[in-house]
Amino acid sequence: MTLPVVEMHEVGKRFTKYEDAPMLVTAALRFRQRTRRSSLWAVRHVDLELGRGECLGLIGRNGSGKSTLLSMLAGVTAPTEGTVAVRGRVAPLISVGVGFHPELTGRENVYVNGIILGMTRKEIDSSLDEIVAFSELAAFIDTPVKFYSSGMFVRLGFAVAVQARPDVLLVDEVLSVGDLSFQLKCFDRMMAIKAAGTTIVVVSHNLNAVRIMCERTGVINAGALVFMGDTTEAISVYHDLLGEARHLEGGHLKDSPARVDGVARFEAVELLGPDGTPTRHLQGGDRATVRATIHFDQAVCEPTLGVGVVTESGGPAYSDSDRTVLSGPVTAGSVVAVTLSFRAALVTGSYTLALGLGEGDRAQVGTSAPLAFFVSSRPAADGVADLEGRFGVER
Amino acid sequence: MDSPPLGQGFVLEGELTPLPQLWSELWQSRELIAILARKDFYVRYRRASLGLLWAVGLPLFQALVLAVVFSRVVRVHTGSNFAVFVLIGMVGWTYFSNTLSVASTSIVDGSGLSTRIYFPRAVLPLVSVIANLYGYSITLVITLALCPLLGVGLGLHTLWIVPATALAVAVTAGACMVASALHVYFRDVRYLVTAAVIGWFYLTPVFYPLSLVHGLLRAVVVANPLTGVVELMRAATAGADADWAKTVVVSVIWTVLLLGAGASLHRRFNRVFTDLL
Repeated sequence: MTLPVVEMHEVGKRFTKYEDAPMLVTAALRFRQRTRRSSLWAVRHVDLELGRGECLGLIGRNGSGKSTLLSMLAGVTAPTEGTVAVRGRVAPLISVGVGFHPELTGRENVYVNGIILGMTRKEIDSSLDEIVAFSELAAFIDTPVKFYSSGMFVRLGFAVAVQARPDVLLVDEVLSVGDLSFQLKCFDRMMAIKAAGTTIVVVSHNLNAVRIMCERTGVINAGALVFMGDTTEAISVYHDLLGEARHLEGGHLKDSPARVDGVARFEAVELLGPDGTPTRHLQGGDRATVRATIHFDQAVCEPTLGVGVVTESGGPAYSDSDRTVLSGPVTAGSVVAVTLSFRAALVTGSYTLALGLGEGDRAQVGTSAPLAFFVSSRPAADGVADLEGRFGVER
Repeated sequence: MDSPPLGQGFVLEGELTPLPQLWSELWQSRELIAILARKDFYVRYRRASLGLLWAVGLPLFQALVLAVVFSRVVRVHTGSNFAVFVLIGMVGWTYFSNTLSVASTSIVDGSGLSTRIYFPRAVLPLVSVIANLYGYSITLVITLALCPLLGVGLGLHTLWIVPATALAVAVTAGACMVASALHVYFRDVRYLVTAAVIGWFYLTPVFYPLSLVHGLLRAVVVANPLTGVVELMRAATAGADADWAKTVVVSVIWTVLLLGAGASLHRRFNRVFTDLL
């Protein structure tokens, strides 16, 4: 009988926020009856089961409850309701180098850190060489870590955490530190310990890392696990949420001239993949189509269709317009179905696309709800556009 | 559900940590406490020039000042060697006050560690209790070595230093567990501790003998949990007050109360301290 390594049942966590810091003096003197406080559920009704060697991704917007969930898996905080069970040793990589003291040398810190992670002194003795080798710090292991660069810090921390042979490894944005070659090395090592039976939970905004590492991914929104399953689908679900959120925030694309409301409405906006089915996940270089219907509440003389694509950080990736396809004036009350076909020549990342309608180039008279989607492309390509460079050597 | 040993997983159901579990987790954390305490002590004195000398020199210097002031200026009569009388009292008092000051903020100060990984939070105040034991041992050995030079003979009675040390550690641990837990919630506890330590010193018979105080003041000094510790340390060296057994009983009662209060606070909040950090 094999029990799941990680089990969460109906887990909820409520945090109490104190408006002003409670003071013992005032409490004792009954100076103020009660400190003002409010509480909120950071996570609620979460069920989760993970077996040996599974790798689970957790994605969600900032403040959605990912970190709270991870803290409970680390055992750092107890759930307000429900049960959390972890069978085996947990090594949190929530921030590597936990407990490193700047005045102590690398070697001394390895011992402190190892014991914190639940290793015995003997275990550390026998794996010290391997830790030093993996971290590539042989020359600096007897130097106080305050002289280390941040990269060296992370390398040593990661080396200890992996060497602790945890049954559960919790990874929080750790892959974003260190140089590329070390990131790849960490990645390889994580895959190796996963193959050896370690269960891994990855929390990251780097959807690409999640996509590569995790076969299963959960999407957390407002403290609830809204989706659990195939990673590709999870990334789509996450982008649906992102799109909604940007819409609610009134997010619209930049460089819009004067906006005139109540002229035209975009409805039923959807993104179709190369096979013609709705999706939120494209492969780099795919031909995709955006479909929408425009309801004209007022007449438009010079209807101009436009599109804008922005990157995750909000920077412009692409914009374009066409004033010939909707030729001539459109009368009030008409409904027009439009499409935009484009090639997703983009590097890996999240993008938001919106369609717009203009009255010539004088005014913007309608904008569609933003559509968020994810592109997975070649790992080496970075930037915005994938120019599909091919390197060669001439003799 | 039964909880597996620490470091081998856990089951969290509700916020309480049952006392037997808390105890077994603490016991399993002894290697962690030891290494953190060594790190603590080491780090504190590695950088300072003259290093260790400060850990030992400061309390000895303070004892010297007190000895001069109260034997030459105020002329307190103790009936025994006043220098040893003050020195040995200072060793016990310094251990307690230094530890309590550091330990009361230890859970909050340790948030970098505790918000990322689980270990019983009582480890943090206990680390201070153990770390300060290094300095205590060194000053104690020096004081004992000085005794014959100052005309105080050592002998079988010096063995009283063993229960004295045990009592000092236990009462300090209790106070530190309570203060550190309270400080997570009430952030003014550190100031209250600082203030309390200043006043507490004068209510502890460090530089005056118990026989010198009378009436209500005497009752207060006898009720002081540290009086028993200081008297027991005197019993090992310069000689204790006639009433010393009574003060030791009071100290033991305090120790039990403080450890009980500390345990119940940690039982309740162990798993949720980090929510307030």
